[in-house]
This record gives sequence, C-alpha cells and structure tokens, in this order.
Amino acid sequence: MPSAADLLILLPTVALAFGACVLLLSEAFLECRNRGYQAAVAAGAAGLALSLALLQIAEPVTLSNDSLFRTVVQPDLFQSFIVATVSGGLLLSVLLSKGFLRARDAERGEYYALLLFAASGMTLLAMAADLVLVFIALEIMSLATYALSAWLRRDKRATEAALKYFLLGAFSSALYLYGVALAYGATGSTQLAELPKATLNPWIGGPAIALISVGFAFKVAAVPFHMWAPDVYEGAPTPVTAFMAVGVKAAAFAAFFRTIAVAFGGAPQHWGPVVEALAILSMIVGNLLALPQQNVKRMLAYSSIAHAGYALVGLSSASVYAGRVAGAEGLLFYLAAYTVAAVGAFGIAAVIERNELDAEKAWDLERFAGLAQRRPVLALFMAVFLLSLAGIPATAGFMGKLLVFRAGLDAGQLALVIVGVVTSAIAAYYYLRVIVSMYFHAPPGETEDLDRSAATSWGLGLACAAVVVLGIGPGTVMEIARRGAELLF
Amino acid sequence: MPSLPSPSLLTLAATFAPGVILEHYLLLAAILFAIGMLGVVTRRNALTMFMSIELMLNAANLTFLAFARVHADLSGHVTAILVMAVAAAEAAVGLAIVIALQRVRGTTNVDEVRTLKL
Repeated sequence: MPSAADLLILLPTVALAFGACVLLLSEAFLECRNRGYQAAVAAGAAGLALSLALLQIAEPVTLSNDSLFRTVVQPDLFQSFIVATVSGGLLLSVLLSKGFLRARDAERGEYYALLLFAASGMTLLAMAADLVLVFIALEIMSLATYALSAWLRRDKRATEAALKYFLLGAFSSALYLYGVALAYGATGSTQLAELPKATLNPWIGGPAIALISVGFAFKVAAVPFHMWAPDVYEGAPTPVTAFMAVGVKAAAFAAFFRTIAVAFGGAPQHWGPVVEALAILSMIVGNLLALPQQNVKRMLAYSSIAHAGYALVGLSSASVYAGRVAGAEGLLFYLAAYTVAAVGAFGIAAVIERNELDAEKAWDLERFAGLAQRRPVLALFMAVFLLSLAGIPATAGFMGKLLVFRAGLDAGQLALVIVGVVTSAIAAYYYLRVIVSMYFHAPPGETEDLDRSAATSWGLGLACAAVVVLGIGPGTVMEIARRGAELLF
Repeated sequence: MPSLPSPSLLTLAATFAPGVILEHYLLLAAILFAIGMLGVVTRRNALTMFMSIELMLNAANLTFLAFARVHADLSGHVTAILVMAVAAAEAAVGLAIVIALQRVRGTTNVDEVRTLKL
C-alpha cells in the first residue's frame, strides 16, 4: 500500500507552492493598500521550506517499496541539501526584494508567488529521478523566472532580458526534450536508472545524451552555451537576478549531476572529457570577460559564468572513480557557498541601483566610490561577499574552491586545477577593484539616500553571517555534503 | 494493466498508410526538429522564432509517440500530453513577453532589441 509517509519527501515543495497560492489569492481578494505583509508571507514559506529541508537532513525520509513516487523521485541527502540551499537563497532574495520593489512601486503578490513557484520547481528538479519529471520541473522553474525577469515591464532592459531568456530557455528546453524522446526510444523508459542502456544503441543513444547535456549546459550557463547570461542577468530586476543566478544554477547542477555523473557513472568516457572542456572554457572565458566590465552588475553576471566553471570542476572529478565522492561533495558545498555570497553581492547592487526605470549607469563602479564613508556597514558586507566570490581564506568561497580543487586533484585532473587556480587569481583583480573603489575613492558629489529598510538589512546581514560561518566553521555543512555525496553512488 | 492500442486502430493505420514504419516517423520528426532549429537560428522575428521552438517540441512529441508504439508502452503517450500542456503554458508566458516588448519598443525584431551591450 502506498502510505502517507511517502508525501514527506514533497513537504518543502508543498510549503512553497502553498505559500504561492496564498499570495495569489490574497492579491486577488484582500483589498489592502499596504502590501507589506506579502514579503512576510513569502519569507515565511521560504523559511518553512528551509526548516523542512533541514529536518529531512536530520531525519532522512524514505519511500515505501510500492510508493507511487518510487520511480520518479530520489529521497536522498543530496536533494535535501540542494532544497535547503535553494530555500535559503529564496529567503534571502525575498528579503532583498521588498525594499527594491517598494522603491519602484512594483510590489505585488504575483511577484512573490512567482518566486515561490520557481523555487518549488527547483526543489522538484533536485529530487527528480525521471527525465520527464526533470523536464516538467525545469519548465516550472523557467516559466516563473521568464515572467519574473520581465517584472518591470515598462523597463526596456527588463523586457529585452526577458525576451532573450525566454527564447534561449525555450530553445534549450526543446533540445533537452528531443534528447529525452530519443533516450526513451533507446531504453523504453525515461527513468534515470535505465538511462545507461541507451549507450548500447549509439545511433540513438549518442545524440540523446548529447542533447540532454546541451540542455543542462544552457541552464547552468556554461561556456559555450552562456551567451544569454550576461544580458539576462544585467537586464532583469536585480533581486530576480540574484535568485536566478543562485537558484537556477543550484537546481540545474543537481539534475545535471544526477543525470550525468550518477546515471552514467559507469560510462565516464562518454562525458568526462566534454565536461572537462566545458569547465576549462567557463573558467577562462567567464573570468576574462568579467575583467574589463565597469558595470558591477554585469561583472557579477560574467563572474557567475566563471563560477559555473568551478562547479563543473566538481562534476568533472566525478568522472573518475577516485574523485567522484569528493566531486559531489565539492559541488554541493560550492553551490551553497556561491548562493550566500552571490545573493548578497547582487543584493547590494540592488541597493546601490537608481530608482527610475532605464537609468543610465545604474550599477557603475563609480556609484560604489566612497561607499565606506557613506554606509560603512554596507561597504563591509559587500567586501565580505566579494572576497568570498574571489575565494579569499576565512570565507565560504575559499572552502568551496578548496573542496572542488581537492576533488580535481583526487581525480588526477591536474590541468583543470591549474586553470582553476590561475583564473581565481585573475578574478581577484576585478573583485578587489570594487573594494578599492568603495574604500579608497572619494564619494561622487551628488548622493541620494540608499535603501535602509529592515528587510534589506536582515537579508544582507543573514547572507554575510552565512558567508563567514561557512568560511570559518564549515565542519557541519561539509559533513552533510560528504554524507550526501557518499549516499549518492 | 492498461490494454494495448486496440487492433482496429492498428488495422486502420495499416490500411491508410501501408508500409509506414518506425523509421519514417523518426525521420519526419528529425526533419521537423531540424526545420525548427534552423528557424530559431536564421529568423529574427521573435514570433517566428517562438513558432520554430514549438515545431521542435512537436518533433519531440512525434518521436515519443512513435517509440511508445514500438515499445507498446503508454508512458510515451502520457509524456506527449504533458509536453502539450507545458507548451501551452510556455506560449502564454512567451506571448506576454512579446506583447510587453512590442509596447515598450514597437518592434519584435530581435536584432533591433539590443540596449544591453555585448
């Protein structure tokens, strides 16, 4: 008999979707001019999902043998970790959205509802063990984020970003789906566990695996499938960019890892070299293109491509038997570390941004000049986030890089590690440039008041605390990531 | 246990399209997919690009259905219906974005939409 306990696995997803429904209905039926409660409801749902995911980590859920979900979801620690990461990123993004939207008079229930629906898709993506569920979860996530990036619909950049994101996202989904159709033909099933059979029929199986991988590479914005990312990340409303950069990446990497490294773990010769090339290209191209950017938001967008490259090092190490557990562990920890640092950095870009639509030079480096004198705490937070993204010791980013590079060494992929270390050194330049501007340059003549709302302060404070805690005392989280990685194979 | 497609339908198909085998369906789907991909790459109108993407999704559907017949497995049919639902939702969001773009820019040509520098 299928038992009610099987539903436990879905609790975080249900919490997010339920919160979204509450927000949609309240927007439709509550005649309340003050929409301040909406961010609270959304933050509550995100916090609930986060606590449920942490409970799942403390007390792993299992499915009964005849559960209806048995063939489609995988109730393991890996998914709980990703769900917790995504929910944490969502919570921070919600807190950072409130002041941003209020300043632009764009605070509506649908915004938070879309954020929550996107996150519910991400949680499904993290646990999916069936290619069709992966497709549906990808689409739940993507459709919500397409709409979110067009949220400021009178803004030229936002609509442009939404169009580019939509066209390339739908295109990559179609590639992925055709790959799934071919895999279904080769194996007679869409379960991940059956996927390795597809290699027996190279004429169908080969293109199937290639198309599925290209679909994922688009979603995580790995070079050469990254062209959409800078424009979309720059044009979308900044809190949305924060959530897209971390949530979409974490969830898509989880599904990518499950499909490639776990399902095809027995046949690494088919994907190992390709992932290695993707990782090297992403690290080099992402960092080099970020170097000349004067626009801090666009710089963070390019750096997000580079970070996809570092996470790919973890995936690539999993192609070698000796490095696969370390690779999965590194990937998980890296995604968590990137989530807190990137949400924080984009959050500060949102605070700095000018309020009017289509503002010129809204996120220019000059706008950060002298921030340490105007808002010392804000400058300190930004410095911590940037140092973490650069991978300076005592921050989360350093531990993340350490773990993925160690996995690369375990796997004997020396070239990958060398490229990683060298590009990290290059990356430090453009991160430190912002810090220098904040601390050593005089503030511009005219300065407007920056957002001081409580939600924003809480969001930034929590993100900063998480960066420091993950950097100084990463023990518990690393332990969970390690167990999650060990149980995966 | 769900029953297999009824024999009368099979005979019907065989009467009207004798000699049509799996490979024909797969080839047709591959051609549709290629046309769709070519459309996305070469066309510059957002709506035409979107229609090309729909063509690619339908090529995937056709492949699912053809293989579902070969494997005598209903899950391929179910998938095709799910994909149609997803495509409809995608059309709703996509067309809304194109309308917003038309209002702000007065064009749906993707080459003219480039405020964001490369």
